[in-house]
Amino acid sequence: MAKINKIFSNILRLLAVAATVVAVVFMVTSHDSAQVLNLTFTAKYSYTPAFKFFVIGEAIAGGYTIVSILLSFKTLFWRLIVILDMVATVLLASSISAALAIAQVGKKGSSHAGWLPVCGQVPHFCDQVTVSLLAGFAAAVIYFVILLSSLYAVVL
Amino acid sequence: MALQNEDKLEVGYSSLQPKPKKWVLLMLRLLAFFATAAATVVMGLNKETKTLVVATVGTTPIKATLTAKFQHTPAFVFFVIANGLASMHNLVMIMGDLFGQKLDYKGLRLAMIAILDMMTVALISGGASAAAFMAELGKNGNSHARWNSICDKYKTFCDHGGGALIASFAGLILMLIISVMSIIKLLIKPKPDSTTVVP
Repeated sequence: MAKINKIFSNILRLLAVAATVVAVVFMVTSHDSAQVLNLTFTAKYSYTPAFKFFVIGEAIAGGYTIVSILLSFKTLFWRLIVILDMVATVLLASSISAALAIAQVGKKGSSHAGWLPVCGQVPHFCDQVTVSLLAGFAAAVIYFVILLSSLYAVVL
Repeated sequence: MALQNEDKLEVGYSSLQPKPKKWVLLMLRLLAFFATAAATVVMGLNKETKTLVVATVGTTPIKATLTAKFQHTPAFVFFVIANGLASMHNLVMIMGDLFGQKLDYKGLRLAMIAILDMMTVALISGGASAAAFMAELGKNGNSHARWNSICDKYKTFCDHGGGALIASFAGLILMLIISVMSIIKLLIKPKPDSTTVVP
């Protein structure tokens, strides 16, 4: 049972690495520009601190996951992996929440604050950010299952 | 007679020993409950109204009333819901600690507490970070998207929101410590040994 759990956990970690890599790549390569009247309107992920935080958070979580796959046999402090997995889950949840909050404002605008939606002018940027956020959300959900499985492996 | 007194003293001392650790966890949970409840209440009652004179028709000025409410922003709504759920969770855990020592759910009590604590930490962190970045956007605006900052017009709204955010981050740190302590309690749980003799 413990062996099946370990294989299952490692497969999930590989999926989580894939999801975080997709999220980071699609966010970093998303830029678009449009000409509105005589103004150039560019959109890049680095113009928003929330998207920068998202990229950094996903990168840290992805790096940690790769390290944890390599260290998945019983070393001295293998029980510490539960706490580190929890920190990674919290980081992923935090990154995706922040990015989703700002992306929602970018897509729908905020009539009360006088902020116009941006997606109409830079559709390519919005599409890539959508794919990136979906991958980030999948990474967060997968990581929660990884956390449950490592809790089960440690408690048994 | 002296030996009996010593036995009584020893039994009394050993029953007092687990209490200091239990009180530490209880105090932390109480603090986290107050922090998240304060964040919920302060953000939930966050509202500011401003009246502006838009035009003057003859001698009567036409006033427009603009409000800033937390419901206008989905991030703040999520913040209020997340902190509300977290304070409910802490309240239930405190009640369970104080009054429900006998409930065990087939030996899974510690595991359930650890899992629920981890879920609550993830929830609070999501709510706090979404509200924090939304507040940063409201304070600084975004020149690239032509979004103006709103904090200079609605100063009280921004101040109260900032206070709620600080309370929520304090609650997040406390919940992280509580969650780590719950996991440690789960890890050092003494395993039942079939060879011990029950006195």
